[in-house]
Amino acid sequence: MSLPHDSAHTHVTGESEFVDDRAKLHNELFVDVFYSTRAHATIKHMDFSEVLKQPKVITVFTGRDVHHNLWGTIFKDQPILAVDKVQFAGEPIALIVAETMEAAQRAKQKVIIEYVDLEAVLSIDKAREVKSFIGDKRKIERGEVDKAMDNAPHTLSGKISIQGHDHFYLESQVSIAYPLEDGQIEIHSSSQHPTETQHVVAHALGIPDKDVVCQVKRMGGGFGGKESQSAPFAAMAALCAKKLNRPVRICLTKDDDMIMTGKRNPFENQYKIGFDNQGKILAWDVELFSDGGAYADLSTSIMERAMLHSDNSYFIPNMRVTGQVCKTHHHPHTAFRGFGGPKGVATIEKAIEEIAHYLKIDALKVRKINLYSDKENRNLTHYNQVVKNNCLERLHEELEKSCHYQQRRLEIIKYNQEDYGFIRGMSLTSVKFGISFTTRFLNQANALVIIHNDGSLQIATGATEMGQGVNARIAQMVTHELGLQRDAARMMPTRTDKNANTSPTAASSGTDLNGAAAILAVRKIKKRLSELALRLLDVPKEKWASKTAGLGTQEEIVLQTANLDVNDPNEGAEWKSGKATYFDIEFKDGWVYHPDHAEKKIEFKSLILEAYLNRISLSDYSFYRIPGIEFNKLTGQGDAFLYFTQGTACTEVSLNKDTGEVKVLRTDILMDLGRPVNHDLDVGQVSGAYIQGLGWVTTENLFYNDQGFLLSHAPSTYKIPSIQDVPREFNITLLDNDENFANVRGTKAVGEPPLLLAISAWTAINNALTALPQYKQTYPSIKIPATNERVLRAIAPEKFKAWD
Amino acid sequence: MRNKVIFYLNGKRHEVGAEQASMMLGDYLRYEKNLTGTKIVCAEGDCGACSVLRYFPHAKGTDDNNYLPINSCITVVANLDGSSLVTVDALKDENELHVAQKAMIKCHGSQCGFCTPGFVVALTGLVEEKIAKKETTLNVVEAKNCMTGNLCRCTGYQPIIDAALTMDLKKAQSVKERFFSPEQKEVLEEKFQTGIAIETEDFSYSAPKTIQEALNYLAANPDTRIVGASTDLGVVHNKRKITLTKLLSLHLIQDLYDIQLKNNVVTLGARVTMTEFRHFMKDKCPEVSNYLDIFASPQIKNLATVVGNVANASPIGDTPPALLALNASVIVNGNKEILLSDFFIGYRKTALQTGELITGIKFHLPKAGADFKLYKNSNRKDLDISAVNLGIQIEWNDHLKTSIKNIYIAAGGVAETPVRFKRTEDSLKTTLDLDAAVKILHTEFKPVSDVRASGAYRHILIENFLRRFFAECGGNK
Repeated sequence: MSLPHDSAHTHVTGESEFVDDRAKLHNELFVDVFYSTRAHATIKHMDFSEVLKQPKVITVFTGRDVHHNLWGTIFKDQPILAVDKVQFAGEPIALIVAETMEAAQRAKQKVIIEYVDLEAVLSIDKAREVKSFIGDKRKIERGEVDKAMDNAPHTLSGKISIQGHDHFYLESQVSIAYPLEDGQIEIHSSSQHPTETQHVVAHALGIPDKDVVCQVKRMGGGFGGKESQSAPFAAMAALCAKKLNRPVRICLTKDDDMIMTGKRNPFENQYKIGFDNQGKILAWDVELFSDGGAYADLSTSIMERAMLHSDNSYFIPNMRVTGQVCKTHHHPHTAFRGFGGPKGVATIEKAIEEIAHYLKIDALKVRKINLYSDKENRNLTHYNQVVKNNCLERLHEELEKSCHYQQRRLEIIKYNQEDYGFIRGMSLTSVKFGISFTTRFLNQANALVIIHNDGSLQIATGATEMGQGVNARIAQMVTHELGLQRDAARMMPTRTDKNANTSPTAASSGTDLNGAAAILAVRKIKKRLSELALRLLDVPKEKWASKTAGLGTQEEIVLQTANLDVNDPNEGAEWKSGKATYFDIEFKDGWVYHPDHAEKKIEFKSLILEAYLNRISLSDYSFYRIPGIEFNKLTGQGDAFLYFTQGTACTEVSLNKDTGEVKVLRTDILMDLGRPVNHDLDVGQVSGAYIQGLGWVTTENLFYNDQGFLLSHAPSTYKIPSIQDVPREFNITLLDNDENFANVRGTKAVGEPPLLLAISAWTAINNALTALPQYKQTYPSIKIPATNERVLRAIAPEKFKAWD
Repeated sequence: MRNKVIFYLNGKRHEVGAEQASMMLGDYLRYEKNLTGTKIVCAEGDCGACSVLRYFPHAKGTDDNNYLPINSCITVVANLDGSSLVTVDALKDENELHVAQKAMIKCHGSQCGFCTPGFVVALTGLVEEKIAKKETTLNVVEAKNCMTGNLCRCTGYQPIIDAALTMDLKKAQSVKERFFSPEQKEVLEEKFQTGIAIETEDFSYSAPKTIQEALNYLAANPDTRIVGASTDLGVVHNKRKITLTKLLSLHLIQDLYDIQLKNNVVTLGARVTMTEFRHFMKDKCPEVSNYLDIFASPQIKNLATVVGNVANASPIGDTPPALLALNASVIVNGNKEILLSDFFIGYRKTALQTGELITGIKFHLPKAGADFKLYKNSNRKDLDISAVNLGIQIEWNDHLKTSIKNIYIAAGGVAETPVRFKRTEDSLKTTLDLDAAVKILHTEFKPVSDVRASGAYRHILIENFLRRFFAECGGNK
């Protein structure tokens, strides 16, 4: 069923409330953040006297006003406000509080600051040279890599250089802190992680978690950028609110948001690959280096996922991957849709293109013979997890056929033999994305389901809504369980006083985790309602509590069976419908009945009233923990994931030989999403993720000055895809796959995996370049993103020599 | 004289004085009127989230006089004097959603919902145009073009394109019919007859009725900024680089809305928008209108003036190279002409003297047999500022194109002003040797490397465009 997003009807009218849409209270104040313009420096002198003289300015706070000034998701290493020393351009230093946002912004320009510059590390190469690292170098290895490499008929080595990627959520980081009685703070934030926001705020203010509530109604986009990095801004607003005892709003401009917050980690990877005459990979040795920025943030976890995805869809008998996060003086880089995955996958996809180029065969052929397969035991990953429910071969075969790969390949070869001023390329790549947080304890969730007297529901989970439709899917699953229409339920804002100790809505896991918890919660109620219905339907209506409870003439129905206590959302559920049945009672179309006596039925609403009058609880709470995640981070071995979401994409591009302009002519995507709860919402995630990934590999160019200060910090200079950049032909199909028994209702997570399919656009650009005479022997070397200029540099390198 | 500006907002009359007139419309809507459906993202007119519909009944020179989407984030409220505005908050009629809203729901065109109001407004603008033209179908190109000024980060656009194509145009209700009443027209027209003088300590805004009055004001207040559509001024204001204190607007001078063609000479007034210019040129010189298709966004073009783009004197403006290649002149004070090639004298500096006003632009259409081409390159093809742009016009001495009578080569993005490559022109005029000309060409500019392109890339692009011109038009020996 493809119901619209549960907020679609208020999105289109502008009624949907975002944080900054909240009406301003009469005593509310605004805060703007003063930040560093130096990469690495000590602060010699700061003077706010001119700031304080500006109209409508209330006060200024610095790091010295923060109770605990350090925060961090994995390591508490980052100051909320830098004191004495700055470690990246864009690092927050002071808060300017004023009666209006404009007053605060204008006053900010009056800060006087003197720095003494220190040596800055602004590249991965430099960090490696001076051994500036975050965490240890990690390694995952299986087989005998060196030996296999030595014995391989062919080997190739290479490098890949991957730049960062700004999230460009439309709604910037924003929080309002309301001081409440008795020292409490209520935070309304645009955050993927309300629990962490609550904890960071409480810690920063030195107050217990019980005195902080964080509410997230919705976000105007998150993409990972609000997983960790929204918390410090919430803490800044809370600090001001606490100190001044007035509501305080922080709402970053796009420019400041882009300057201050971290991006997708840049990577510089180097590799060696050994293979046979057919292109079968025998050995894969890859070293990953990421730019973590100035503080740890999530970079070590991101690196781990990159290492776990360096195989992508390919079985490689002898494989070694190492990963080292580098500490630089850039904004601390952070989660972004796909986490480390895209950087691991891009590396091996490039190597495979090189194998094909070297052997002069089609890259799809190389890909197909290397896929994970149940045949010949080629189904074990380098971290020792069996790839179950493997659809990779089917995905490749079906897409190859449906997109007319072979025929178009011949046409492209022919086209490139003529000189039309353009060259074309095409590439078909895949993704096998592990679903679960690789950090085991994050794989937990809780949910609260409330049925009110009139039979309508409220559902509260730890999931945050950022456009992905997690709320729509959860409401759909819960109401489906009760045989109701989705609009019988309302998804409540995510609040830490209802759902505590939650994990971020991240790793594509929002629906898996919170949907499972919500289903477990509603089933507890359903079981009680079923037992009640079983007994009630045997009693004449006139004796029901609704007729008699006032007088107390009938005995109360007391339930005899214990509460439901299971952890698997598929336990007790019929596979096809996904619904669990208790006492054979059926919930369908707003009615409740025993199928053997269908005439004796009760309306759901009426049953709820009878339950209330019989003092049967109509609310329940459930907890869900993903079973079977056994990944040892020290050995790099074990079941890191519950299952894999898989997909394939074929992209055809055209390059303008005069300008380097890239045009995507056609993209075909075939995704395995198990059995979607909401087909159209899933397809929307696929198209959105692909286009976002397309931006990453083509036009989105982060441009820094020599202080690591971001100069492309607004849409005028940082170019995400526009509507004209959508492939001229864009086909998205979902694979028929009814066999993902591991996950709730047989679904598969969709948020991140399709972003990695955009790598096919980048490999297609490379493929087009190989039509040029200069790439007959050597393979092109082009960065991610392949901007127009970089493409022209690859097309006409000799022309650039004259002017560089 | 009036001391208030007047406009209609969602059908209701608003008259505002200095304090609110100096705000940006987006802020006024959100913080003064609690109309929070309109979102602010970039505050620089590059994302469209802040789009609102504006109908300006006083415009001339175009037949699509409808409610057009504009960027509210960079529009000074004072500049909306005489306008009728409709925001997303008012599009739902009682309980009936607008066809654009219905289609967006049906096709899953919204995910996070933050850009959605802007897309709905852009689509509604297209629906208004269709209603006015009595058309009931639209194609994918029209759909994409109307939303070029709107960024979405969630959907990948495909669902929004699908939404546009499923809009039921037959059932579409006209915003103009709903919101633009005859009384409204009467009030706006009447008020338009009176000049504006808002004077407070922090903000003054003057809108005289005639060029002479404007010149008088300028003579008395030499520190005044002339504001066209504020599509650049608004950006600079939002980045807090300037404070808008003294503004002079020419919007009440009726003659400045004229655009006309006489004896193959196009003359356009200072209030002619990019959209009107594009529309006007469509059948007269499609090269110009096609080029304007990849200029900024529809929202910007619906407000921004051609004269503003020239007066701004930005080295990366898109119209200057085109107009230089057309050998245009700027009309000063309504009576004096300066050749555009003599106009740009330094970084953001023009030949305009203190107290002078640009009142229009004129140029001769390319003559029969002449070749005229415009090129632009940017990181993203649409809605992006040029890395470089190039305009070339050649009038040949003969049909075989063996020698050149007149040649104009002009570029942007290569120096601190838009430039003519006169030595290259001379070289080609003397001998039609492209390779020799290219050598000279490269000596005529030293482009910087910046966020948009390296200097090397700019060199190569300019050369490649010049070569492409001759490949397309012939003439090279």
